[in-house]
Amino acid sequence: MFLVAVILILQEILEAALLLSVLLAVNQQMGPHLAGTRKLTLHWYAAAIVTGIFGAALFAWAMPTVSEWFDYAGQEVINALMHLVVIGGLYTHCLLLQTNARQTPGPHIGAGVALIVVITLSITREGAEIFLYINGIMGTPTAVTPALLGAGLAGGIGISAGILLYYSLVGFSRVVTLRIGLVLLALFAGNMAAQTILLLTQADWMPYTPQLWDTTGLLTEYSVTGQLLYALIGYEATPSLAQAVSYVAAMLLLASTPLFRQSWR
Amino acid sequence: MKRFRSLLFPMLIATSARAAAPELTLVIRDHLFFPSTLEVPAGQKVRILIDNQDPTPEEFESYPLNREKVIPGNTKTVVFIGPLEPGEYPFFGEFYPKTAQGKVVVK
Repeated sequence: MFLVAVILILQEILEAALLLSVLLAVNQQMGPHLAGTRKLTLHWYAAAIVTGIFGAALFAWAMPTVSEWFDYAGQEVINALMHLVVIGGLYTHCLLLQTNARQTPGPHIGAGVALIVVITLSITREGAEIFLYINGIMGTPTAVTPALLGAGLAGGIGISAGILLYYSLVGFSRVVTLRIGLVLLALFAGNMAAQTILLLTQADWMPYTPQLWDTTGLLTEYSVTGQLLYALIGYEATPSLAQAVSYVAAMLLLASTPLFRQSWR
Repeated sequence: MKRFRSLLFPMLIATSARAAAPELTLVIRDHLFFPSTLEVPAGQKVRILIDNQDPTPEEFESYPLNREKVIPGNTKTVVFIGPLEPGEYPFFGEFYPKTAQGKVVVK
């Protein structure tokens, strides 16, 4: 039970932790470059994490009802919607960081709100499963302690991975940090788009499209590296045509913001 | 050529697959899947009704099928799979993986 809890919870936490680190690193390095602007303070991130945890609890509580919507497609549809809002939020965040910097000095209220939306929904989606799992475990008294210990360990590993990524990113020069950070954000948006397609296909709201390739032999999705890459950039061993197309489209959407054309020098 | 056909074949199916897909039922009880082997016709989309009769939630997960869905305790849900090529596609319950194991056999 201990190991199951570690793996399960780590899978859920990792994506949000890594995203948070990249956003933090990008924002942190953005500030000094853009004269007269202020960085988003850590309060924004803290607020986003708190609302995300509440969102996750709420989503878990509503899950039995949501599941039955649209002839049992409710979970996929709501999840897909959250993925799309995350893409929109990332796009808005990147757009406003730049626009705001060019015009008025001061804190990026719009960019901050977009950041809160992105982080809140990322935690809501993944966190709901943790709440459901822990709640289910509560019915088996002997399993509670190992599961909670596992959850604690997974939380520790997830947060450590996030911290490690953050410091690896800010360890580079500012130009390099921003370049890598922005590319990671674009890949993350692609990941969200591909997951949306997968969810809608699973619910039969979208037609099946053929599988493009199979890299299971090279790197399985359930290996540690596979899981890490899945969380960071949405690694998929057997992507479908629609997944690949949507991945590229969302990547290009983010790359179309002026932020990606900055020289940062 | 074989590769090209394997791409084209499902595409042709996708256009006509909107018609009612065959349905199979998968029951979860005592953290086990019944039946633990689901036989599915090749090249066809299938609707799997998952009936979780346990009071605890479970997550239906399969890497080869690219499927993942939480089923709260004492609820039902639906997952569509396929069209698939003949072969075996294992799945498991992520919340109770020691016992909740099964596979889809495509013929």
